[in-house]
Amino acid sequence: MHEVGLAASILDAVRIETALHAPARAVKVGVRIGQMAGIDRDSLAFSFDVLLPDSGLAPLELAIETGAADELEFCYLEIEEP
Amino acid sequence: MTRVPMERKVLNENEQVAAELRADFLRHGVFAVNLIGSPGSGKTALLERTLATFDAGRRVAVLTGDIQTDADAVRLARYGFPVRQISTAGACHLDARMVRRGLEGWNLATLDLLFIENVGNLVCPTSYDLGEAKKIVLLSVTEGEEKPLKYPGIFFKSELMILTKVDLLPYVPFRMDDARANANVIHPGIEIIEVSCTTGLGIDSWLGWVDCQMSAASSIPSLL
Repeated sequence: MHEVGLAASILDAVRIETALHAPARAVKVGVRIGQMAGIDRDSLAFSFDVLLPDSGLAPLELAIETGAADELEFCYLEIEEP
Repeated sequence: MTRVPMERKVLNENEQVAAELRADFLRHGVFAVNLIGSPGSGKTALLERTLATFDAGRRVAVLTGDIQTDADAVRLARYGFPVRQISTAGACHLDARMVRRGLEGWNLATLDLLFIENVGNLVCPTSYDLGEAKKIVLLSVTEGEEKPLKYPGIFFKSELMILTKVDLLPYVPFRMDDARANANVIHPGIEIIEVSCTTGLGIDSWLGWVDCQMSAASSIPSLL
């Protein structure tokens, strides 16, 4: 269940970061998750897909990379100029 | 298309609040531990047994988290120390903001030791720093010795594994050596204490661990 909270945190951060680059639109966000982070990738991806339509950020791709140990960090945000 | 570096933690807000809590604990000399385990692993029973051994002057308090009810706080309050329930209203873990709210009105300067009993769960609490000095994972012998392999995150992050309900070993097919080996696969060198809150076996070792860690932390404040 905490993957829902994580997905919401990701979308919040994307919203904040994207605002810094207005009027650009976020296209893809990359996160790095370690195998010891206690996070189910499939559950996170599912939660992200559930929350995305009401976030005002769709369409937005979530890319999950494998990190070290208990890492749970953003890597990058891809933005597109209008 | 432009790629913008975004090098920060996903749970950045929680991390910030946890850092503030840790600084508060450090400033006031409070040793905080975060107890994590499955539902029914014996977290509350361990705290009951622990509080029962403390004299009335012990500067200890407990925050106990559950999805619903204040049952654990009621159990723990019988021992006369400050206890407060954090009801998460459905959330499967405590986060740093809940702990900060839970501490409101308490004077940290009157405490040396704070137990934070997390919501019963081996997965979600792993991701949330609460500003604690140590994470401790509880594993009961009724759960199975493979738990460290199935839920590696919390065993990796915990400094101590407490094997609970060892008085039941004659009645359950739990292989203690395998449990210890599995924990060491995930976290080589993890400290392990076996306890029974029913018979009292191992409680002295647990209390000794707490006192030892508190002594170490008070001599090296950055350990708090």
